[in-house]
Amino acid sequence: MALLELKNISKIYGDLKALDNVSIRVEKGEWVAIMGPSGSGKSTMMNIIGCMDKPTMGEVLLSGVDISKETARSLTDIRRDKIGLIFQQFHMVTYLTAVENVMVSQYYHSMPDEEEALEALGRVGLRDRARHLPSQLSGGEQQRVCVARALINHPELILADEPTGNLDETNENIVLGLFRQLHNEGTTLIVVTHDPEVAEAAQRTIVLEHGRVAREVINENFGK
Amino acid sequence: MTKRKMFLRMITASLLRRRSRMLIALLSIAVGATILSGLVTIYIDVPRQMGAQFRSYGANMIILPGEEGSLTGAVLEEAMQVIPSENIVGATPYRYVRLDMPSRQQSFTTAGTDFDEVRKTSPYFSVEGEYPQNRREIMVGKEVAETIGVRLGSSIELSYKPLASFEGEASADWVPGAALLGSSEGFNEAVLNVSAVLDEEGKISEIEVDALSQTENIGSLVGTDKAFLDQFLGKSLPLTLGEDVDALSGATISSQAVVDALNSSRSRENARLSENKEHYTVAGILSTGGEEEAYIYMSLEDLTRLTQEEIMDVAELSVSASAEELEGYAANIQEEYPALTARLVKRLAKSEASVLSKLQALVFLVTAVVLALTLICVSTTMMAVVSERRREIGLRKALGASDGSIRHEFLGEGMFLGGLGGLLGGLLGFAFAQMVSVHVFGSSITFQPLLLPITIIVSMAISAVSCQLPIKKAVAIDPAIVLKGE
Repeated sequence: MALLELKNISKIYGDLKALDNVSIRVEKGEWVAIMGPSGSGKSTMMNIIGCMDKPTMGEVLLSGVDISKETARSLTDIRRDKIGLIFQQFHMVTYLTAVENVMVSQYYHSMPDEEEALEALGRVGLRDRARHLPSQLSGGEQQRVCVARALINHPELILADEPTGNLDETNENIVLGLFRQLHNEGTTLIVVTHDPEVAEAAQRTIVLEHGRVAREVINENFGK
Repeated sequence: MTKRKMFLRMITASLLRRRSRMLIALLSIAVGATILSGLVTIYIDVPRQMGAQFRSYGANMIILPGEEGSLTGAVLEEAMQVIPSENIVGATPYRYVRLDMPSRQQSFTTAGTDFDEVRKTSPYFSVEGEYPQNRREIMVGKEVAETIGVRLGSSIELSYKPLASFEGEASADWVPGAALLGSSEGFNEAVLNVSAVLDEEGKISEIEVDALSQTENIGSLVGTDKAFLDQFLGKSLPLTLGEDVDALSGATISSQAVVDALNSSRSRENARLSENKEHYTVAGILSTGGEEEAYIYMSLEDLTRLTQEEIMDVAELSVSASAEELEGYAANIQEEYPALTARLVKRLAKSEASVLSKLQALVFLVTAVVLALTLICVSTTMMAVVSERRREIGLRKALGASDGSIRHEFLGEGMFLGGLGGLLGGLLGFAFAQMVSVHVFGSSITFQPLLLPITIIVSMAISAVSCQLPIKKAVAIDPAIVLKGE
């Protein structure tokens, strides 16, 4: 059973078909990149996978359960329990420290646990920056905090939206390194990007164009 | 760490690390709470303040002797125990008697009183010189002083003519050739004396009326009006006014008193008509702009000595109490001492109540306006806060925050601000009330401990209400805004 399966989904805004009868499968433990130019339907697909939007037609199966007809409230629950999100602009709570930002995710999920949050920061190499406010962290550091935040609740799926879009090469490599680590530990990753280098780091790339899947590319160099 | 701890950590961090915006909200709540608690403090304290203020306009209760029974110092003291002693600002006895001034052939209403108490119940009295302190010192009204031309330090003689008392039937003395004396109470219960001589047929041949005690140029004319007096000549006693003689126009009471005096007249030998006289020094001249200027004031002891009668006509009380309390005291006195009549000086008690109710309305109005302004200000600030934190709210929702959590967090921040603002405002409000009280009423105010928690609760409630609209807006934010590189 696939972890995530989109079956013939369409998203229609008035006359515009943002997604047009798209079907994809992501297996458990897979690392998939979704690419495409702007207007290709990437964001719409991301919203649907991230349980922030529902398709107009079609089914979204998460661990075999169709979530395409769920209410916004239960989508929130599903997102909280199963999905870890990483954003292009990091998005940290500006008045909370790094460790507190990680704990916010725990707070909504179950119980805040500072030790565990510190450990997660340790994994991304920021244990010594735990008490810093976002304004005292570099962009790369902020994104690493966000990676720690995304994995803190052990989600089934990590969904990253242009995670390296605002990072320099060094930090891009650090973040991709972290993804590699997560992948090796068995975490399922979906990375939405327009950067071919980031896409090449994944096992498989799904290319969207005009709301349809234009092609799928298996990265033969993966793991090398 | 518990969820509650994390919740508190988040909202305190939000307030402490985002100071400038929150300071505005905090300030507006504190200002609102200051006005609220300040006004309410003043409002609670004001009846007391106003009471003291109104007491400076004079007595608000009088005690009179009832139908039967008389008012003496001892009775008054006993009756006054109905009123808590700390509420009694002053209690002034008054006895009014007409005294003659033989040197001027005039008479004046003279009040016997206690000058120490006068100061308390009639603080508006303006005295040139001093209040009498020693025996045989008097204070004269300005009008009296001008009429008789006295100054501070002048000495004047005053005399008291009591009602003549007789034994046996008066008519037994009405024999031909008798010289008769009679007294009666005329206008204002002032005694008027009549002397008459009967001719050999037992008819009046001479009549003389001493009416100096009567109202000048009205009642007193019964002693001087020749036409009026001539009517009596050739008449036999007893007489009836309106049949045997006509009343002097405008002086019916004094005319009746002349007839009564004649009808009760006795021969000189049988009449015990006495006259007490004493000399007094003018210690003060009283200006009030009112009828008091027409009176002479002396100590009750001096007047008692002069009249040989130890009674009082009325006691004026200045009591610090609300109109309802006053009515209660009066009713209690009435009930426990049936021989007395206790009345409120309605005008004062009423105006005090009406000023209070107007003040109450004003306080309510101002408080309502201030609370409304606070509500708007806090609401606007929180609205701006929500806009400013759109992304953060979106992030929280993306991280799995339910609508309830978002509502809870904003309400938590709002209530925290409300509580803090309320505490600040409650304390500042007392300072504000104190300032107003000192400037307006010239006295300090008592701290109302209960008002602090009430202010805090009201402030929290206000900010909770203010947060409703902003929260609605916050809850409506789409978590998807954190995606897409906006």
